[in-house]
Amino acid sequence: MQRVRTGIKGLDEMLHGGFLPQTANLVEGAPGTGKTTLGMQFIYSGITLYNEPGIILTFEEFPQQYYHDAEAFGWDFKALEREKRLKVIMTSPEVSKLDLEQVGGMIETLANEMGARRILVDSLSHLERLTDDPVELRIIQYSFINALKREGLTAILTKESPALLGAAESEESIAFVVDSYILLRYVEIESAIHKALLVLKLRGSDHAKDIRQFEITPHGIEVQAKFEGREGIMSGSPRLSMADSFVRAFVKKEKH
Amino acid sequence: MATNDDFTARLMNDMDPDLLDFVKTKINTFIKWDLIRFFHENPNTADTAGNIARYAGRNVAAVEPELDELVESRIMEIHHLDEIPVYSLTTDESMRRLVEEFIQACEDRHFRVKAVYHIIRGMR
Repeated sequence: MQRVRTGIKGLDEMLHGGFLPQTANLVEGAPGTGKTTLGMQFIYSGITLYNEPGIILTFEEFPQQYYHDAEAFGWDFKALEREKRLKVIMTSPEVSKLDLEQVGGMIETLANEMGARRILVDSLSHLERLTDDPVELRIIQYSFINALKREGLTAILTKESPALLGAAESEESIAFVVDSYILLRYVEIESAIHKALLVLKLRGSDHAKDIRQFEITPHGIEVQAKFEGREGIMSGSPRLSMADSFVRAFVKKEKH
Repeated sequence: MATNDDFTARLMNDMDPDLLDFVKTKINTFIKWDLIRFFHENPNTADTAGNIARYAGRNVAAVEPELDELVESRIMEIHHLDEIPVYSLTTDESMRRLVEEFIQACEDRHFRVKAVYHIIRGMR
């Protein structure tokens, strides 16, 4: 099966090769967990490793911020824009919704002109300001996602999670609308904050079910090994598994 | 006999003729200057006057007429989505180059002083 590789070390393996083409892939996490970095890396890798031009659609953060943040990882977004392989577009949810509904809108035209294959929408949470009605919101999200697929784009959609640690209480329907769902979480272990990544859903494919640690390195995100010997990772405050508690208490001597 | 005013005007006109014309006829208010800087830094922005005003941290009543004047002077473009006006930076390469030259020139303090002088004179 054809895959759209993210180019992120460890993540493609978890996704059994990458996302499926022309799908909408949700990345949810608290502020600072790395949602935008993951999305930018998906776009940058697409352009530089797989020759797939990309679009970044931002609803709040200024494009200037993306150029700056990308530079910190050695990714020259301005040069890619000059080469017409990347566009960082800033607009509002209301304008982009109307634009995608039109024939020959800005995003459609750009996608065709550039031959864009990937898009980062940062963040989908902003569509919520278009309506208070959850049924209407689901229709808007569904229509928005279908419009991106219609343009042949594989999308990463970020979503803000209000809870810094642990699972956020959510009654939202977006998880049902998207094709894959990746959760990023902060985890507190022995008074230090770690970051965890979990692929919760990948429609039409198997995927890794374990919860992995990840780091934002100077070269981007690197997904590492799973959390060993811990339970309740996604609660934000994991505890030692029973087996590890036993080993720690009765077998190993703690070093001081 | 040359007056102090003539001398000042000569001194303040001492810049690239294209940029002088740009400052005198197109960037004739500080709001336009802000808007041009914003669109230069974020060149693929396309939005309503209300949202652009919010990005610029200004009142929409002050920003909208300025955007319309920038459209008239071909620095900005306007198109309508369901009758909602959406503004974006021109796609015209020569105008974008002029905007780029203006922003680069603004890094020089002397140029900025001259540009401010012309804007204030134009506002009188």
